[in-house]
Amino acid sequence: MAAPMVKVPGQRLARKDETTKPGTGTYEQNGFIYSSLAGCVQKETSSDGSVQISVITDVQQTVVPSVEAIVTARITNVTPRFCKCSILTVGKIPLKEPFRGMIRKEDVRATEKDKVETYKCFRPGDIVVARVLSLGDSQSYLLTTAENELGVVIATSEAGASLVPISWCKMQCPRTLAEEFRKVARVQQEFLQYTDT
Amino acid sequence: MAGVELLSDQGFRIDGRRPHELRKIECRLGVFRQADGSAYIEQGNTKVLAAVYGPHEVRGGRGKALHDKVVVNCQYSMATFSTGERKRRPRGDRKSQEMTMHLQQTFDATILTTLYPRSQIDIFVEVLQADGGNYCASVNAATLALIDAGIPLKDYVCASSAGFVRDTALVDMNHLEESSGGTELIIATLPKSQQIVFLEMNSRLHEDNLSAVMDRAVAGCTDVYNVLDTAVRDHVGETAAAIGGDAA
Repeated sequence: MAAPMVKVPGQRLARKDETTKPGTGTYEQNGFIYSSLAGCVQKETSSDGSVQISVITDVQQTVVPSVEAIVTARITNVTPRFCKCSILTVGKIPLKEPFRGMIRKEDVRATEKDKVETYKCFRPGDIVVARVLSLGDSQSYLLTTAENELGVVIATSEAGASLVPISWCKMQCPRTLAEEFRKVARVQQEFLQYTDT
Repeated sequence: MAGVELLSDQGFRIDGRRPHELRKIECRLGVFRQADGSAYIEQGNTKVLAAVYGPHEVRGGRGKALHDKVVVNCQYSMATFSTGERKRRPRGDRKSQEMTMHLQQTFDATILTTLYPRSQIDIFVEVLQADGGNYCASVNAATLALIDAGIPLKDYVCASSAGFVRDTALVDMNHLEESSGGTELIIATLPKSQQIVFLEMNSRLHEDNLSAVMDRAVAGCTDVYNVLDTAVRDHVGETAAAIGGDAA
């Protein structure tokens, strides 16, 4: 088969210069790019003409949440001071198993931080989009929803129907028409597309 | 050496090998479904199974998490039926603890640990049959399992041992050669860059002979590397064909 194209850890792929950059599955040492995985090479040419060399495997890519990353999380626990959640995906890549996250009261929204009441923003079971603020303490990642685009995206009402957003802080149950408070995310068009699929 | 002749006048060892010859290596990747990566290796009669889990959130002792790199957690255990005399404890005895520590150090140096801060990678190694070179077989098996799991490595880690009998360096010692009380040098290298990640020596050896023994062991590592490399390439080619993509 095309065995020579299979790259293995430690195999030298290219010399690193202005036009070639190391991508995922590779590392750089002494001015050369080496493979760190067993898989196939993929070369991507970006707009500025530089080539990014990555090694792609068939196994699911493993990621961990990093600072500034957008994550999707499920709220598990709400207290007056903070909400606990389990992080389900990082960007578009689902995690093999969830990581613990925490949204503190002051990180829920950008304005009127001191008037935040957590139970009027999140309920257990809500799916939220959040940004990783810091790696936090050893227990959990610190997340924030203090942006218009961040907050609850999927929630179910007390009647069990999925809530429809009506404002940035309210959602309505389509069955009972009861309004519930949430910190609603203004979901961007590009995100809508991938939540559908 | 009390009855047993480790190296005959004709230059053969007790199991019929020449001094520079490894035992037969057979290996398989991806032997378990439930683990993220797994491998099985036979080096002569030494049989080792390795499983890798992770990277996942740090478990057990929350304080263990490192803010800048991944925690490599190893567990070395020997099946109770692996040795000639039935073992009482498969793990947790001094010998296993030491081996666990050595494996941990070896893989801490090889895995690109900074990619996964605050996470943990588990490497479980089980010796099913022990016939000398347990550390070496464990390292080789764990390397294959890590590659199978898709964990970024600087390079393969290949381990081999060498001894010194009748002015000759013997590579890849079996149990009989190991237990004769002579010198044994265990080495783990990154074969592409020729770096040593682990080196251990039991009992005494004259300084003049050290480089000969080390060269033999390093040559053994290179031979091991060739075998592992073939296995990995076959496996990657196979899986690529199975999912329909071409490996090119």
